[in-house]
Amino acid sequence: MSRRLLLMLPAALVLIFLIVLPYANIIVISFRPLSPDGAYGQGFTAANYVTVLTSAHYWRQIWTTIWIGLVTTALALLLGFPVAWDLARNRGRSQALRRAIALSPLLVGIVVRSYGWTILLGNNGVINRLARALGLTQSIIPLMYNRFGVIVALTHVFLPFMILPIMGVLQELDPALEQAGRSLGASPRTAFRRIVLPLCLPGVQSGCVMVFILTISAYVTPMLLGGMRVKTMPMTVVSTLIDAFRWPLGAAQALVLSLCGGLILIAFMRLTPMRWNR
Amino acid sequence: MSRRRVLSIVCAAIYAFLLAPIVVVIIASFNSGAFLTFPPQGLSLRWYSTFLHNEVFIQAFMTSIRIAAVATGVSGVIGSMAALFTARAQPAVANSVRMAMIAPMLLPEVLTAIGLLFYFYALGIGLHHSVALIAGHILLTLPFVYINVSTALRGFDWSWEQAARSLGASPLTAFRRVTLPIIRPGLINGCLFAFIVSFDAFSTSFLLKDIGVATLPLQLFDYLRLNFTPEAAAVSSFTVFATVLVMLLAERLSGSQRRRP
Repeated sequence: MSRRLLLMLPAALVLIFLIVLPYANIIVISFRPLSPDGAYGQGFTAANYVTVLTSAHYWRQIWTTIWIGLVTTALALLLGFPVAWDLARNRGRSQALRRAIALSPLLVGIVVRSYGWTILLGNNGVINRLARALGLTQSIIPLMYNRFGVIVALTHVFLPFMILPIMGVLQELDPALEQAGRSLGASPRTAFRRIVLPLCLPGVQSGCVMVFILTISAYVTPMLLGGMRVKTMPMTVVSTLIDAFRWPLGAAQALVLSLCGGLILIAFMRLTPMRWNR
Repeated sequence: MSRRRVLSIVCAAIYAFLLAPIVVVIIASFNSGAFLTFPPQGLSLRWYSTFLHNEVFIQAFMTSIRIAAVATGVSGVIGSMAALFTARAQPAVANSVRMAMIAPMLLPEVLTAIGLLFYFYALGIGLHHSVALIAGHILLTLPFVYINVSTALRGFDWSWEQAARSLGASPLTAFRRVTLPIIRPGLINGCLFAFIVSFDAFSTSFLLKDIGVATLPLQLFDYLRLNFTPEAAAVSSFTVFATVLVMLLAERLSGSQRRRP
């Protein structure tokens, strides 16, 4: 038994020393006072939280971040579900290829993907040029440097995290269950709503949770696609930490955002089964 | 139109959406003009040659490879060990271990990186010698190795290892000849994924890099903020091609291992 525990030892040490302690330390730092000549001062204070919680400026940014997160998650679900269904059910010859395409964003760096979107959505980008060449418009359609561009790119970047868990549950789901429902007189729509949806709820839930977490903590994509005109909270956190070197304030900003995100996730997990298990 | 037909059209559109930005970058990289224009003003490998002669990018590329190799090596060993432990643990223990091992993937990358930044400064190490950077990359890669090896171990019967032991094999031999061949495909896939994840990581590297150290994604990001030449597209496409090549190679490797009796 003790020898077997040794197998777990290195991973346990990594998790304790590189996850548990650093996260606890973030909380400690968030209560430190700001210091003019260092990253933080000695003693403890709640001033950083007061600064964040009483500032309309920060609340606006938190709201922007969460709003973008919610819309992106909804869009990813809308686009991810049909693909997951297609991959799980449609076993044609092209299945391997379709699978590779669906997961391709995972294998291409986030900077490269965001860059691809700037080429597509820029003011002189592919879509704008095409629209002008086709005579659809004379003016520039603003597709980038706004929330639209950020959301489109984020949806693309994180879509595989929605597809994978939903595909997982759909593969386990026996099509005979649906057929049984149909043979008992349910319409295809009813069979889908009453049988398929409740059974793939765990996959939908984990997909939504993953995409939401990834989106509200995304940094590169909003930076490249939003061009500083869409201010999300992770951008503020990074500039508070790196540019302003005010660690306690940055820590408080990050923790308030995480807390807001966490509350939304809890509400989501509570509400979803109730709606579908009725 | 039948339901199936509608679904396949919708899916085709989504597949196109998924491929679009990657395809556009690759097309742009063969542009012979000085600026990113669409359609390209003629084809050439000019920007690839510029990239391959650009010391800054080559150095960043080598740094990325080095960091990814170290992180994958460490994660490969400790992730596999943890997976072997989980496979034989009590269900309740196995479940909590599984949750803990996947946690680094579920926690926001930026927050974890901030945690490591503060922590390594508190330890007095700071960001020197890329210790913090490698620690961050180990956390990024660990879940991928763990998940893949765990999947390979599903259905593994421990009496096989015991049978080998009872026939006189040492524990090490039993592991090497019985267990290792079974987890090998999962280990290769996991390490491969880990390597790619580390190679492409941004936020972790951005917050934890030592002064003067840049990985390829960081260098690319820096370049993109000021420049608009197709060189960035050439760098990006190069990484895409390299990834595809490595994937195909690994497919071969893990496939042939599996067929061996």
